Amino acid sequence: MLEELDNLTQSRFVFFSQLLGKTVQSADGQDLGRLVDLVAIPGDAYPPIESLIVRSWRRSRLRLLWTAVAGYDETRIQLLPSAVAEPVGDVTPPNRIRLADEILDRQIVDVQGAKLERVNDIHFLEVKGVLRLAHVDVGFRGLVRRMGWERALDGAVRGIAPRSSYLATGALLGWKHIHPLGEASGHMRVDLAQAQLAELHPADLAEIIEELDREQRITLFSRLDTETAAETLEEVSPEVSTQLLNDVTPEVAADILEEMAPEEAADVLSELPTETQSELLEAMEQPEAREVVELLQYDPRSAGGMMTPILVRFLDSYTAAEGLAEIRRRAEELSRIYEVFVVDAAGILRGHATLKDLLVAPLEQALKELMREVPGSVMVDASLREVADLAAKYRLLAVPVIEQSGELIGMITVDDILPAVLDAA
Amino acid sequence: MPPELIHRTTTGEIARQREGHNRWRNFLLFLAVMGPGIITANVDNDAGGITTYSVAGAQFGTKLLWSLIPITLALIVVQEMGSRMGAVTGKGLSDLIREHYGVRVTFWILLAMLICNWGNTVAEFSGIASSLQIFGIPAQISVPICAVLVWLLVTRGNARWVEKIFLVACVFYIAYPISGFLAHPPWKEMLIATVVPQWENNRAFVSMLIGTVGTTIAPWMQFYLQSAVVEKGVSAETYALSRLDVIVGCIFTDVVAFFIIVSCAVTLNRSGIHIETAKDAALALAPLAGKYCSLLFSFGLFNASFFAASILPLSTAYTFCEGFGWEQGIGKPYKDAKQFHWLYTGMIVLGAGMVLIPKLPLIRIMVFTQVVNGILLPFILVFMLRLINDKKLMGRYRNGPWFNGIAWGTTIIMVALTVYLVVSGVQDLFA
Repeated sequence: MLEELDNLTQSRFVFFSQLLGKTVQSADGQDLGRLVDLVAIPGDAYPPIESLIVRSWRRSRLRLLWTAVAGYDETRIQLLPSAVAEPVGDVTPPNRIRLADEILDRQIVDVQGAKLERVNDIHFLEVKGVLRLAHVDVGFRGLVRRMGWERALDGAVRGIAPRSSYLATGALLGWKHIHPLGEASGHMRVDLAQAQLAELHPADLAEIIEELDREQRITLFSRLDTETAAETLEEVSPEVSTQLLNDVTPEVAADILEEMAPEEAADVLSELPTETQSELLEAMEQPEAREVVELLQYDPRSAGGMMTPILVRFLDSYTAAEGLAEIRRRAEELSRIYEVFVVDAAGILRGHATLKDLLVAPLEQALKELMREVPGSVMVDASLREVADLAAKYRLLAVPVIEQSGELIGMITVDDILPAVLDAA
Repeated sequence: MPPELIHRTTTGEIARQREGHNRWRNFLLFLAVMGPGIITANVDNDAGGITTYSVAGAQFGTKLLWSLIPITLALIVVQEMGSRMGAVTGKGLSDLIREHYGVRVTFWILLAMLICNWGNTVAEFSGIASSLQIFGIPAQISVPICAVLVWLLVTRGNARWVEKIFLVACVFYIAYPISGFLAHPPWKEMLIATVVPQWENNRAFVSMLIGTVGTTIAPWMQFYLQSAVVEKGVSAETYALSRLDVIVGCIFTDVVAFFIIVSCAVTLNRSGIHIETAKDAALALAPLAGKYCSLLFSFGLFNASFFAASILPLSTAYTFCEGFGWEQGIGKPYKDAKQFHWLYTGMIVLGAGMVLIPKLPLIRIMVFTQVVNGILLPFILVFMLRLINDKKLMGRYRNGPWFNGIAWGTTIIMVALTVYLVVSGVQDLFA
């Protein structure tokens, strides 16, 4: 308890902008130069600062350990007599982050808010002589502080509107809740980065990726686990998804494509040049590749191009119990169950049933008896308009797609119809 | 509705918003169809540009035609660097300046750019006002209507058909070459004047020359072009095509400029008619070159002004928000992108509003923004040169020694010219 109190009295907050550019002075009063950067050791929730980078008056760069700092005030950073300055080049040592170079003024992902922000300032917590990275400031006040106007503007705001939200702590994001986008590797353990990014909804991730530049995109994308990468790829625009698939190795690309819904994978692949397309299809596992190849033969704007081949298709001789057992068996593969389609021995669509119908029916009842008539279906070459009209007219969650012969080959679900319709509007 | 379905619907909505947002950015920069270089060139020949070229032709005849060749070269050198940086780094210019030179530099540069672009927007709306006056529509009616139209077009319009409208606007620049032909210039004489430099040793001539250079190479274009290249997703590998696009665009700009100078030179200058604005030029053309030439000229002015008035405020808002890390995009809801929406709407309201205030010294405002333009340009050029020679940033796509020589040479000449312009502009302001 006493020790905790002691800690509190010894801790204080400081902003990077209040340190940057300060004169660094040795114990005997000699000016070494100005502080131009701080190097942190990542991994911790509050990464400690390891060293300072000082640019001497002769423009050479020196490195000093933070433990050699005796203290700092308004004008200078005072060093201990034991301080040793060693010359350094302009490269980041492995597993370190240079804050001015890689974080300040750069874009980062705010994982909690699920958006892209620019870092205006960095907030440190100093505990017992150790400087730790606590927050990044992405707010307006950070900008004002960097301009050197904080005191003036604070005074003015206090005078005019003392209860203004501007005077509240502002937009500080905890370091553990942000994801830096620097290209230099080794900032973060891969598994930690993956877990952190997987917290984001794929649609949010896709939005963030679209706003990034090419290099940052691939940096962020390659840090996603395969499942998240696949879901994200389904959401980004075709230009971005082709770029991302081009920039990862074919093996990684193939893994991601296998994880994607086949109709989405086919959409992405259809945007690629034929050569890359066949290379990736060859790298993919057989069953997934075959599904995608089949979909690729259709015009992407037709019902065939939009449909998914993965659906619940039962023979009319099945009983409700058999049907439910089959659904359980395929649970892994079926992401959501809209409807159950009933076909005859030739694969011709005969009827449909909802999951509820199956659940409430007597276990031994045959599908033939419990199924309803299909209100409508579309041909494989039907247009988006026809599909949407049919879904709207009969309020279908899934529109069955049939061949000329009447054979059921896939379905188009409403969640794929809606974005396509909005897009065409 | 089952929870899963609700969830999917919101996801779809997010996806839709994102698509809308991106489509808007794509439209802003038109890229897929026309190419950033050509678009930038078209917006460059705005109300201010047309006025300068008309006055140059009326006052000095064909004596300034030769300057178009060095101007085109300088324009190509500068624009090429911007588009190369965009292709290699995938970042806009305000982004790069922020990341390399920090907040303070970015703030002052963007503030200066805001002032310049505001001044330019005022010029566009006064171009709209004066061109429509020729068709008998008073400014009090035309300016508010056009301001609302511009605002609605971009914020409420359907991106796809707006894109088509602007593509048509690009084609309408052909009005100037046609009016050039209608003026029946002696072609041989014109071509000689284009390649043989002429000089008059007086202040009016030097100022006009500098004005012509200044209106062609403007700071905002560098931000706009680079973002446009980024938006198009041009990469270092596919950059060669983009370079061609820039060169074609620059040549196109100055071909239009050529015809404006020619039409005014062979008519107004020969008859000794003194003009001060593009509207004067259009009116004076009627008795000399015929009604159609005059109407085409005014129509061209309206087209160019409206086109630029639609793009400048949007481009400004994007550049500003990019530099400060604020959310950007017309598709973003107001509560997420307050700064963006305020900047965009503010530019239009303040731009159009200025034109409507009676007895406001519009000319002085223009001179003032020209001065700020002049102060800003050297900084932009020097930053561009330093960034494009940054090994870490550009790698093997840095400037070669020859290109660097030409680029620095261009920059130094531009700086010298703008220093002169700023000094004489300040003198004018206090005169």
